[in-house]
Amino acid sequence: MKNNIISWIAQLIVVFILGQTLFFKFTDAPEVAEMFAKLGMGPFGYKLIGSLELVACILLLIPSSTIWGAILSWGLMSGAIMGHISKIGFEGNAGAMAGMAIAAWLLSCLIIFFRRNQASFIANMFGTKSSNEMQS
Amino acid sequence: MASSLHIDLHKISKFVNLSIPALFVVFLSAGHFVSFYFHFFTVAFLFMVIANFFYMTVQKEHVILKNFGLMGQARYIIESIGPEMRQYLFASDTEERPFNREERSEVYRKAKNIDSASSFGSQQNFDPSEIKIRHTMFPTPKEALQPFKITYGEERGLEFAYTITRPIMISAMSYGALGTNAVRSLARGAKLANIPMNTGEGGYPEYHLMEDCDLIFQIGTAKFGVRTDDGLLDDTKLAEIASKPQIRMIEIKFSQGAKPGKGGLLPKEKITDEIAKLRGIKKGADVVSPPYHPECDTVEKTVAFIKRVQNVSGLPTGFKICLGKVSEFEVLVEEMKRQDVYPDFITVDGAEGGTGAAPKAFLDGVGLPLLVGLASIQDCLKRHGIRNKMKLNASGKLISPRAQLVAFALGADAIYSARGFMLSLGCIQALQCGNNTCPIGITTHDPELQKGLVIESRAPRIANYVHNIEHDLEELLRATGCKSFSELTEENLYIPSDTVLGNYRLNSPEVQAAAS
Repeated sequence: MKNNIISWIAQLIVVFILGQTLFFKFTDAPEVAEMFAKLGMGPFGYKLIGSLELVACILLLIPSSTIWGAILSWGLMSGAIMGHISKIGFEGNAGAMAGMAIAAWLLSCLIIFFRRNQASFIANMFGTKSSNEMQS
Repeated sequence: MASSLHIDLHKISKFVNLSIPALFVVFLSAGHFVSFYFHFFTVAFLFMVIANFFYMTVQKEHVILKNFGLMGQARYIIESIGPEMRQYLFASDTEERPFNREERSEVYRKAKNIDSASSFGSQQNFDPSEIKIRHTMFPTPKEALQPFKITYGEERGLEFAYTITRPIMISAMSYGALGTNAVRSLARGAKLANIPMNTGEGGYPEYHLMEDCDLIFQIGTAKFGVRTDDGLLDDTKLAEIASKPQIRMIEIKFSQGAKPGKGGLLPKEKITDEIAKLRGIKKGADVVSPPYHPECDTVEKTVAFIKRVQNVSGLPTGFKICLGKVSEFEVLVEEMKRQDVYPDFITVDGAEGGTGAAPKAFLDGVGLPLLVGLASIQDCLKRHGIRNKMKLNASGKLISPRAQLVAFALGADAIYSARGFMLSLGCIQALQCGNNTCPIGITTHDPELQKGLVIESRAPRIANYVHNIEHDLEELLRATGCKSFSELTEENLYIPSDTVLGNYRLNSPEVQAAAS
């Protein structure tokens, strides 16, 4: 029950972090274009990322698919962090973006852990007994 | 013997476990030096590296994952789709349990009113150890057949004696085990086919009553629907239910073939407002179904209890039993004679009977199979000269006309089937009855799953099944040269000695008495 509430708060924060950039990505905002240009990605690239972030947000808000949304946002944020480390850096605005990416990444990990029983291959990682009686 | 095509899964898993981090590094470099798009793969492999680390070092529950890592998941994934794959692709037509594809498709054809003639030869394993029906050289002409008609309660001259005119009835399935649509489809089909339906022990039969078919009210050991607060029989409630015009008979459940000698427990989580109301129980506490009726702890009290239910209800009243010890039944019969109280019918259930949920040990291992149980009870009643005091119903995997005719020949007056009717509804034998996840919406209360079960389209299938079963039974009956089912005897069967029944016959008291 307590974990459920914590997980929901985390889900909403991740959805907020991912969601607030979508508008800029889909409207070709110059800051976004400039930042993704450093990664060698054009409008196709950031719109693809934006679409995947939108999917992650939707999955995070549907109770039965939360874990899939969390895995997707974990992956996207891992990519974002790698981008910051390797190409974009942490100067000024980019630093704030990187901070939010790291926060979303950590919260995604938390959600994956709390919702581990939704997917048996995640539940197996923690040794939780899954409902599949065939597993040894 | 080592063959050149030998696949060493251990080596493969080691290779995979090394490749995953290696590929992670490869894609990481490609993402950095070639194109950032490669990082989509980097992230995927990072995920696998982490998962593999957890599988092989952190978790302690799953041996396969600990030893072989991610590759071990392949086993689980492939294994999890095994039942479906086997049913769709690999299982032969005659090897599934409890009903193989051939048996199921016979019911489907009957329910859909499709001709069930098959070509070229029997699919059954035609070994000499099968019970077969002996035909005559002079089959009964169609017009000489006597119409089927038996009257429950005629022995006692009851005012509310109940006559059935078709040989099969829908066996006990409660609301609770079945969902709303399934109950109503069955009830509407029963009404169409003019056969009675047993309510099961699920309490007040609200949904059964909606379709206005004839009902046999079953009293389980927890007395759902007719119980006092401490789980004993409430006479007023029983009288009230029995006074409904649709309720035609009462069946006291002593035991059930799927789990004889076993009680049950209705967990408090499953007790919804509706279930509490229909079953007459309180919310918030588990309800125990004892393994036997608390009123019936001795033979005397058992017979007295039958008498009490007969008197309170005023309806034909019998009991359902899966035979365990023949000697025990013999004592019961002697007590019936002593008190001059006879049930109006006995339903003999075989250990092969089905259920929504029972411990596997009971499902597989307890109780006499139907044919032996039925023959034992028939013999016992005859030996005591009281066979004419009551009717015998047979139940337990009797979904095909052949099995049903064998039961008639062993002494049954009418046939009960539950799973035959579930298959008619469209059951695909997904074996999910106890999980609330029945894909056909029969044994579930999930409205999403029930919506596919449209009552209007299902009810006629029930009637078709009854009609076609009756047709086949009559054809078989004519082949034996008998004019009615009551004329059938074991003389009409070929019972090899190496069948369960044949073996029983060789050792039965009658044969031994004749030999000595």
